[in-house]
Amino acid sequence: MELTGTLLTGYGFWNPVILILAGLVTGLVAYLLWKRGVSTYRKGSEQEKPYISGNPEPEKNAVHIRGGNVYWGFTEGLKGFYSRVIPAHSGDLNDYMLWYFGVMIAICAVVVIFQ
Amino acid sequence: MKISKAFSRSLWAFHFNAGSCNGCEIEIVATITPRYDPERFGIKLVGSPKHTDLLIVTGPVTKKMGPVLRRVYDQIPDPKVVLCVGTCGQSGGVFYDSYNLEGPIDEIIPVDVYVPGCAPRPEAIIHGVVTALQKLERLEGGEK
Repeated sequence: MELTGTLLTGYGFWNPVILILAGLVTGLVAYLLWKRGVSTYRKGSEQEKPYISGNPEPEKNAVHIRGGNVYWGFTEGLKGFYSRVIPAHSGDLNDYMLWYFGVMIAICAVVVIFQ
Repeated sequence: MKISKAFSRSLWAFHFNAGSCNGCEIEIVATITPRYDPERFGIKLVGSPKHTDLLIVTGPVTKKMGPVLRRVYDQIPDPKVVLCVGTCGQSGGVFYDSYNLEGPIDEIIPVDVYVPGCAPRPEAIIHGVVTALQKLERLEGGEK
């Protein structure tokens, strides 16, 4: 299939030339809009900051929404599980090794007893 | 008077209440009603100081509103003019010498036009806006 050909999907079409032209036109419109902006603003002043009803701009950390918020429903639904699992994840390697060996000993014991 | 570029586009105004009793606000709202209809000349209130040429300030500027007024003024693109509507903004008015005031307005930001009255009539506010527009034209024409 030639590179510039039109792909018909049955629901629409796809043509790389049209996509590139659309991108160029969009870029041109965006550039013209940007060009109409006020270029004489005072750099480093309040004119660069967002208008929040005249209130000071909060620190980025204070308004940042963590990615974990996306999973809020999931963690809320399984909070009985997470409330037990999270404290076990202490970040201490010794704890993790204890869990590892403890579980391994338990499995070995089960295998020996029920063989 | 040389007509500058400012005349070729609309004058947009941003209203800031710095502790007004709402009397001046009622008159400003009366000014933009169809009875006076300044919007036929492109003069209208906007919702952000970043879109405005004219800052209309009412009220005596309470201590809480002082820093906010200063920040809003700083965020307006240059050139800009400030219109003080009402007696409170000029002297404190009935709130004169109150413990709670940081104003009057011209002690916080530079004021170009004063419209006295408690509260001023729409005709007076329109006259103030036209005077402010003339000042804006001079500023855009290169006057310092």
